[in-house]
Amino acid sequence: MYRYDAFDQAFVDERVAHYRDQTRRYLAGELTEQEFLQLRLRNGLYIQRLAPMLRVAVPYGTLSSKQLRMLAHIARHYDRGYGHLSTRQNMQFNWPELEEVPDILADLASVEMHAIQTSGNCIRNVTADEFAGVAADEIIDARPYCELIRQWSTSHPEFDWLPRKFKIAVNGARNDRAAIAVHDVGIQANRDNAGNPVFDIYVGGGLGRTPVIGELIRASLPVEDLLTYLEAIMRVYNRYGRRDNKYKARIKILVRALGADEFRNKTDAEWTLIRSSAQQLTPQEVQRVAAHFEPPVYEKRADATSLLADARLKDPAFDRFMRHNAKPHRVAGYASVILSTKVTGIPPGDVTDVQMDLVADWADRFGHSEIRISHEQNFVLPDVRQADLPELFKLASAAGLGETNPGLLTNIICCPGGDYCSLANAKSIPVAEAIQQRFDDYDYQHDLGALDINISGCMNACGHHHVGHIGILGVDKKGEEFYQISLGGHSGHSAANASLGEIVGPSFSRAEVTDAIATILDTYVERRIEDESFLHCYRRIGIAPFKERVYAHAD
Amino acid sequence: MPTLIKDGAVTTDGWSTGEKSLLAPDAWLEQATAGLLLQVDTEPDAAFVKAPLIAIEFPEFKDGRGLSLGALLRSRFGFTGDLRAVGDVHPDLAHYLIRCGFSSFVLPDGRDVAVALKGTTVYSHYYQGSVRDPQPLYRKTSR
Repeated sequence: MYRYDAFDQAFVDERVAHYRDQTRRYLAGELTEQEFLQLRLRNGLYIQRLAPMLRVAVPYGTLSSKQLRMLAHIARHYDRGYGHLSTRQNMQFNWPELEEVPDILADLASVEMHAIQTSGNCIRNVTADEFAGVAADEIIDARPYCELIRQWSTSHPEFDWLPRKFKIAVNGARNDRAAIAVHDVGIQANRDNAGNPVFDIYVGGGLGRTPVIGELIRASLPVEDLLTYLEAIMRVYNRYGRRDNKYKARIKILVRALGADEFRNKTDAEWTLIRSSAQQLTPQEVQRVAAHFEPPVYEKRADATSLLADARLKDPAFDRFMRHNAKPHRVAGYASVILSTKVTGIPPGDVTDVQMDLVADWADRFGHSEIRISHEQNFVLPDVRQADLPELFKLASAAGLGETNPGLLTNIICCPGGDYCSLANAKSIPVAEAIQQRFDDYDYQHDLGALDINISGCMNACGHHHVGHIGILGVDKKGEEFYQISLGGHSGHSAANASLGEIVGPSFSRAEVTDAIATILDTYVERRIEDESFLHCYRRIGIAPFKERVYAHAD
Repeated sequence: MPTLIKDGAVTTDGWSTGEKSLLAPDAWLEQATAGLLLQVDTEPDAAFVKAPLIAIEFPEFKDGRGLSLGALLRSRFGFTGDLRAVGDVHPDLAHYLIRCGFSSFVLPDGRDVAVALKGTTVYSHYYQGSVRDPQPLYRKTSR
């Protein structure tokens, strides 16, 4: 993974000092609330419903065991013993004291971490496939390009005060696990015929109030042009994006207003003038960064699938773990393992300090001291020897991280919702819990197969409800919490193309949601052909049969 | 009194005292020896570079359009005169202004002059190139 050199370290250290001074001036009354708001947001600090919330950047979801132990320390020392894995691969702390945030940032800086640009109208933390570098279906490792973008976008002189937040995701695998179709800029890395990295650039995707699938505006961009092309996009957006209405300020609205062709023309006109500038990437810089992501030295191991067959036969729970949590690795004898945080009764994505320390220990013991955070709000251990999987499963189960539900119904993506977030219209965590309780039976879940349920507590869509196969959105109706259900969304993580869900009809009260989901699932089970997935079945039969059944009682 | 900071020092000049006039583009075209006052959504024009001073008015400090406009006037149109930020200028954002090519800015009353004077000295290095220092870090040093 990327290790800081003296320049990187100096920058985060100076950022801590800078922010410490800003906090001091705010507490001394020298900065107004509104002034400090803008400054703290660029350092990841929100003021939430109950307390401040600090969002720590985990660049493209990659952490070392040492860094994870520091996050455990922060949870223990400055917070209430837990943290929250966000849908953008970051870690959030819900109870820090505003006065102590500079100390937290200093602790983070001591392990090459920060909270820079994790909120505010600026370029946010770049996200990627959580299996980058190890996935069996990888075309090219996205991480070096994410790191180049991270450095380029950090305190950019021109693009830190945008009309609205700006999210970039990079995918380098055949399946898109980074949801690039629903980002302000989505980047698909490929190789050209000569094997060189090239990039397809999608722009104007996004969720929120106006969900949109991004448009391809440049295919096969060479690596040396990656940053100048992004610069051209950002300049067009910074100058022409709307600032009069925050709900119309994302780049997707500009792309839609201009049309994708006109947006491309404007971007290309700008790019032509800066393409050969000093901002063009040098081969040396690309190589320098790529060298940080050279694969670790793997032991020569035979594929252990047949050896594990015996253990799977003896222990059905381990068999499920192998089926749903262990993912194919590009090196024989290894697997990548998802450690699910989706345990009934615990808010999706919440992890305790003790769990963080344990995951760090397992990363050291079974892998190469590296951990990933997925946008599905789970931990991933990228390099585990297959032979160690039974032992890891035993330990993970004992620690509450062995749920065998990745890809299944109870692996719900869920924002913190009305329990924590001041933007939320409705609670989301209790809805997730009620669904997990109702459909707890593994055999039923397994029979349903691949199913993404995503829950957001408001239009901002942090729970990515638009791209859930079943999406649930909390809405406020005259002060009461209601839930709108949509069907057929997809983030693009399996071979199927990304799509946005369609609203099934009038919203449901909290008491009705789970029954409605049950009816939707019954409809699917009745209508599916053989082992057709929920998504494929939906795409074949459309929304009408679901609508009919869900609202049948109303007649 | 608002405070003019130019090239890293507190000062005054004819425009900050109001002795010299600042004109919007249409009026300025009739009298090009005056200072030129631009709004952040103005399209830059090659004619502007003849102005002795261009002031860009920030309606809110968090409005980044002025940064792009300033950067374009310098790097694309070759403006070499005094480029000034006026309006809702914030001292904590001085380093962005300076890096985008602003040579001066006027701080409204009540904003911290000492903080603004620190300017770009808060950080020893930046990753990207900028108008002020076009070479990105990786072209300047061996990393």
